[in-house]
Amino acid sequence: MKNKCTISNKIREHRFFANEMTQQQLAEKTGVSRQTIIAIEAGKYSPSLELAFKIANAFDVKIDQVFSFKVEVNQKD
Amino acid sequence: MAYKEKKTIIMIVTGIAVLTAYCYYSFGCSTAATDTDAILKQQAITMLKFIGIGIVAMIVIQILFHILYSISLAIASQIKTGNCDDKDIEKMIELEVVEDERDKIIELKSLRVGFTFAGIGFISALVWIVMDGSAAYLLNIIFISFSLGSILEGFTRLYYYSR
Repeated sequence: MKNKCTISNKIREHRFFANEMTQQQLAEKTGVSRQTIIAIEAGKYSPSLELAFKIANAFDVKIDQVFSFKVEVNQKD
Repeated sequence: MAYKEKKTIIMIVTGIAVLTAYCYYSFGCSTAATDTDAILKQQAITMLKFIGIGIVAMIVIQILFHILYSISLAIASQIKTGNCDDKDIEKMIELEVVEDERDKIIELKSLRVGFTFAGIGFISALVWIVMDGSAAYLLNIIFISFSLGSILEGFTRLYYYSR
């Protein structure tokens, strides 16, 4: 039995509520490149705990309001 | 395409150019030496020359690329906003070249691929000698495998950036 772990995020939603903050502005606030923000937002890259906290701080919310962790249990294996 | 992807492409092109020049030089010129020590010495001199050429070429091309990239950013900013402030350009470049955790992970992953390839090449060179292969090709196999490993590292980096 294999479990699939996924980290989803609501960065796009939070950017919208933060006066349509651009990816570049978020990148500047968190000290990473815009490409990294794009990859995180698209769910292609899971950020480190430190970066996840920085992103949450940029929106002035708690980390679990931005990122959520799901474990999908695969019964087939 | 981001700054780092363009930089990686430049590095790949430089690597291919140096490797091609090495192959052309190394396989093109016939050696008069007949004993193993003399052949190895001649090969080592050629390799050292090309390692030096490769390092200098990489540095010069990266500096040129950085200058040209800055100029292109300044021109793009001039067209877009109508002004070309030095501080704005510097800030834009700083934001583009910032190295974050994702870049470091990509670098580590691609380095692993590159070194694996180079390691396989090194073992192939040893196997070549065990199978009574010519010593002239020993250093060639090692040099080419390390160069190809470096090029492969670049391609891996591009793959991870585009994913």
